[in-house]
Amino acid sequence: MAEKFDHLEEHLEKFVENIRQLGIIVSDFQPSSQAGLNQKLNFIVTGLQDIDKCRQQLHDIMVPLEVFEYIDQGRNPQLYTKECLERALAKNEQVRGKMDTMKKFKSLLIQELSKVFPEDMAKYRSIRGEDHPPS
Amino acid sequence: MENFTGLFGAQADPPPPPATLGFGPGKPPPPPPPPPGGGPGTVPAASAATAPPGADKSGVGCGPFYLMRELPGNTELTGSTNLITHYNLEHAYNKFCGKKVKEKLSNFLPDLPGMIDLPGSHDNSSLRSLIEKPPILGGSFNPITGTMLAGFRLHTGPLPEQCRLMHIQPPKKKNKHKHKQSRTQDPVPPETPSDSDHKKKKKKKEEDPERKRKKKEKKKKKNRHSPDHPGMGSSQASSSSSLR
Repeated sequence: MAEKFDHLEEHLEKFVENIRQLGIIVSDFQPSSQAGLNQKLNFIVTGLQDIDKCRQQLHDIMVPLEVFEYIDQGRNPQLYTKECLERALAKNEQVRGKMDTMKKFKSLLIQELSKVFPEDMAKYRSIRGEDHPPS
Repeated sequence: MENFTGLFGAQADPPPPPATLGFGPGKPPPPPPPPPGGGPGTVPAASAATAPPGADKSGVGCGPFYLMRELPGNTELTGSTNLITHYNLEHAYNKFCGKKVKEKLSNFLPDLPGMIDLPGSHDNSSLRSLIEKPPILGGSFNPITGTMLAGFRLHTGPLPEQCRLMHIQPPKKKNKHKHKQSRTQDPVPPETPSDSDHKKKKKKKEEDPERKRKKKEKKKKKNRHSPDHPGMGSSQASSSSSLR
């Protein structure tokens, strides 16, 4: 699993370094640099070939589109992971709170209804008792 | 008010037809229809009290209580379950939420050259545009032949100021430990409008092609031997772990 990422990372780093060196050559070009320039251009092609080969190993990797928003804004994509985890936890807390409140409400309602409609609530409890244990 | 008294008061006036009032006259509720196919049990339809509760999932007119339905089954995974512990993400949670995560993209990719903290919309390098307008993918990647390389014969001399973009590095805090790394990242000194003359003179000396070649050779040697530089073949553990 990690190896395919390592390969891709290696190829990408080489490619970026190649492009950077190409930029240095071009920024102040000399006639003697032509051979080097040609070599770098062909390295671009081979670099792209190598990156393309890595694609087959990574076809099952899914990336959420929301991460792209972070990257496009120049933000750290780990912030997306962080915010996902925080949101999941916050939602968990929220839903747990709702469920606890509903349970309390249910028990309170049954209690009060039993005072007003004792016979009906006895029937209800017996029916519910058959299906599910009282929670 | 006249219609009201007509309904509940006067006996002389006949009750108005249901259409004008919008509801029909009071009638006893019809007996519940028999369940289709005889139902799940052998309980007669007449005794509503003994009908199996929740058998009729529509909930209408079944059992002693109107709209009484079967409770949903208990599942292990609910919204109140701590999903982080359930999916064994505690380590990830501590890693990302325990300590402060730096805001900028350059903190995530420290070795990437150029101004990567700028929004992608500024220089048309956004990933969103790549998804919305994917490039037309042709065949395979073919090497550039001799005749094609003739098109890459450049004029000598430095680039005009407008094109000098990639050597502008954002100001970085150069620590002692990262001294080697910053040197390898930025061989050409950053060009800013505020450069003084003595810096330009230094640059002219450095741009001597022989010195350039020597510098490149030195860089290659450093890349091979330096453990910090991700460079030409070694992948750094910290950067690779951050991608996962």
